[in-house]
Amino acid sequence: MTMAATSHDTPVETAERPTRKQPDRTFWLLAPGALWMLLFLVAPILMMVYVSFWTQTTFKIEPTLTLKSWITFFTSDTYLGALWTTVRIWLIVLVSTLLVGYPAALFVGLFVKNKTLSTALLVLCVIPFWTSFLIRVLAWRPMLGKEGAINMILMKIGVITQPIEVLLFSELSVIIGMTQIYCVFMVGPIAFMLGRIDPSVIEAAQDLGAGFWRIFRTIILPLSMPGVVVGAIFVSVMVLGEFATSAALSGRKVNLLGNIIVTQVGSLKWAFAAVAGVVLTILMGAVVAALLRVVDLRKEL
Amino acid sequence: MSSVLQLKNVHKAFAGVPALAGIDASLANDTYVSLLGPSGSGKTTLLRVIAGFEQPDSGEILFSGRRIDGVPPHERGIGFVFQNFALFPHLSVAENIAFGLTNRAVDPVTDAKVVAGRVRDIIGLVGLSGLEDRATTQISGGQKQRVALARTLVTEPSMVLLDEPLGALDANLRMRMRGELRTIRERCGVTFLHVTGSETEALAMGDTVLVLDAGRIAQSTDADTLYSRPASADVARFLNCYNIFPGAVSGDAFASPVGALALGGVKQTSGNPAYAIRYDRVAIRPTDAATADDEVRIEASFVASEYSGAAINSFFTLDDGRVFEVETHLSHAAPATYEEKGRYALVWKREDALVFV
Repeated sequence: MTMAATSHDTPVETAERPTRKQPDRTFWLLAPGALWMLLFLVAPILMMVYVSFWTQTTFKIEPTLTLKSWITFFTSDTYLGALWTTVRIWLIVLVSTLLVGYPAALFVGLFVKNKTLSTALLVLCVIPFWTSFLIRVLAWRPMLGKEGAINMILMKIGVITQPIEVLLFSELSVIIGMTQIYCVFMVGPIAFMLGRIDPSVIEAAQDLGAGFWRIFRTIILPLSMPGVVVGAIFVSVMVLGEFATSAALSGRKVNLLGNIIVTQVGSLKWAFAAVAGVVLTILMGAVVAALLRVVDLRKEL
Repeated sequence: MSSVLQLKNVHKAFAGVPALAGIDASLANDTYVSLLGPSGSGKTTLLRVIAGFEQPDSGEILFSGRRIDGVPPHERGIGFVFQNFALFPHLSVAENIAFGLTNRAVDPVTDAKVVAGRVRDIIGLVGLSGLEDRATTQISGGQKQRVALARTLVTEPSMVLLDEPLGALDANLRMRMRGELRTIRERCGVTFLHVTGSETEALAMGDTVLVLDAGRIAQSTDADTLYSRPASADVARFLNCYNIFPGAVSGDAFASPVGALALGGVKQTSGNPAYAIRYDRVAIRPTDAATADDEVRIEASFVASEYSGAAINSFFTLDDGRVFEVETHLSHAAPATYEEKGRYALVWKREDALVFV
């Protein structure tokens, strides 16, 4: 996004002020970023695509081009299943972070009039990030487990007699864990956009006779859409590339594309890992492109 | 004329600091009312209380005979034009104007044809034809003002509140919009309550001018009466056209810091004794010129003058350091030149002065 914006703005700048130094400076400002991206993003991706066509045998990998790994991937129930699980979990987590995050953002960004208080509340959302990722994920085990806090409390107050086993080491626990971890990335951008809405615009809508839900649907929601899209991009990119949460909370029952890659790399099956990597990259690219279609971010931000 | 809005002893305080301290007012139907007040006098608070964005602490607000304090803003039927226009940034000009018709909770218009027709009519009325599909970021300040007004007028409110509507416009446009606002109001036949901090704007626009001072209505009258007979020294001060002396009446003179000023003009009762003489009622003469029996004379040193085209304003310092201003209209005479720091006699007729006791 940053790269696109820069290369778009540069010609305009040069056209307005045709100084001799301008192209020089542009080059030097862009060079470090461009070089970094080239070496550590573009080159590895090209390498990954290349390796996905190499010949894989049990013990070694040879640079003889073949479609075998691709055919194996798209004919195997395991791999296609992982692709489907990834897409399903991504959609569910995206929706649940939005459902949990939007009201929180609405409260922080719009209903809290005091700027200091709303900043303090946003900082509160970030506090869980002061602990390491692994601890945050593993902390769900004593919470959701068969003898965990939730089951204990529910049994104590007599809501259930048998512990709910589906809470931990299931798809549900992966979804709960991911929603908790990634929700803040949804809250932040939305709260930011909501905070930028001029309060008198909402008062104007009130004065023109609209009730709260009308104002929400016709004014607040459209004006916060860029925040929703940015939040959705953050959450999507992170959830699609996830493997640690599902490894820690699903008891190996939920296999995402990320987990496939980890296993394949672990057993030195580089070609399979590369195929999964290419598929995952294309999936992420498609998701981000689709989300950017929803709102013209360059116009709105 | 029947009154559309009545305020009875309305109080409002923010964190213990009173903003409105007992407002009593009655606004006539189908008139242009301007509300003049210095900053911090409670103008905006009063407007927001009438619109329903703030709740009064006590007192009654009656709108068309119905009590509306406690009624939410969207059920009041009072239009509000914001100082910064508050247009919906994601909607076009036509969509902004149609918003109230289609989205109001009470009696929304669902027929798209009716909406389009009424939007077209109001766009013609405020002079925005041809800009219907523009984004609100692609129009000028004056056009935004018109969209804000049209958006309110299309809902046919019985009254429109305008919060410093011309404040965000440049001087030239401000003069033009003054006339247009009055014309638009006459065509719609609803009461406009126009809040402003500019005395010239208040006098030029209002059929009735309300002067707000420290959370109270200090005077409510027509522009001419207000200008020539302000009800108190404070009101005279906002009008920005009176030299005002504190002091007290003693015998047949007003004892002021610059000496005794002979009485003769109108005496008005207000809490605060003061003596006021309009800038344009004062003549500047050499110190040795004769003074008639019905004239009051003081001496002062000339400081500077400010030329404004049709008039020239001369500034003098009195012996106690007070600044005294004289406005001389140039329609009949060429501007005189005065010597800096020179002594002059400032003379006015006794009957032209206003005395507050």
